[in-house]
Amino acid sequence: MDNLIIAAASRVSEADLPMARLGKRFGRLDLASQLVLLAVEMLGIDFDTQRRDRVGICLAARAGSLATDLEFWRGRDAVGGPSPTLFAYTLPSMAIGEIAIRHRLTGPNLCVVGSDVVLAGAVDWLRRGEAEACVCVACEVVTPALAGLIGVPPVATAAAVYVQRGGVGLRVWEENDRDIASLCAVLCGHNGRN
Amino acid sequence: MDPFTTELKARIIESLRLEDTTPEQIDDDAPLFGEGLGLDSIDALELVAMLENQYHVVIKDLEVGRPAFQSVRALAAFIQAKRAS
Repeated sequence: MDNLIIAAASRVSEADLPMARLGKRFGRLDLASQLVLLAVEMLGIDFDTQRRDRVGICLAARAGSLATDLEFWRGRDAVGGPSPTLFAYTLPSMAIGEIAIRHRLTGPNLCVVGSDVVLAGAVDWLRRGEAEACVCVACEVVTPALAGLIGVPPVATAAAVYVQRGGVGLRVWEENDRDIASLCAVLCGHNGRN
Repeated sequence: MDPFTTELKARIIESLRLEDTTPEQIDDDAPLFGEGLGLDSIDALELVAMLENQYHVVIKDLEVGRPAFQSVRALAAFIQAKRAS
């Protein structure tokens, strides 16, 4: 079969968000979804040239939706209670929906919480012919409020790779390419995109 | 533009976090959902919460409130009618 090709890679952090212009509804999204959407945008993939029903989406939500869960929980004390919109983002897989809606992708999808193993899932789809390409994103959001609770440093980043069957790209996918964030750190230049 | 409608638009923008949108850019008669402002079902819940918090207007059934969500003008009229009753 064709080689699996890493066609594009990107990584973003919270500092990149103020410059993001991804439509008037972007402000509604929780921090994790904003990072994920921006990372996918930074891949620079023209989805008009892809078969949208053959493009999968894999999301590794390393910290799940804990930051948004905490924000929602704390919203109980606000007048009128927590935001109904925020409730939707207490689902760790919500960012997959945002990617699918924005780019009208209808292929298979997978969300894994607490690890970065989704790239293997994408490779399985591609090898079995269930997809021709896959958007793979690893996101980690630990807000300062959450960091204080769980005793880890705050972080807000997302890294994305676009893997496809055949074609040209950055390089061939290798068996030991398992961690999206590490892969992006190697592939991306200072501007976060390659 | 009447002050109440302007205020309502500002509250919609704030509650729905509509980026790069000003009250002047929202047409009084444009549909709130689908085309027009492009809101969706999650926004509907946020609007219901905003009406309750800001105007003490309670919509218990979204179907009952559907006519009020046709446009900003319809929503303003709905709020004012509820307040008057």
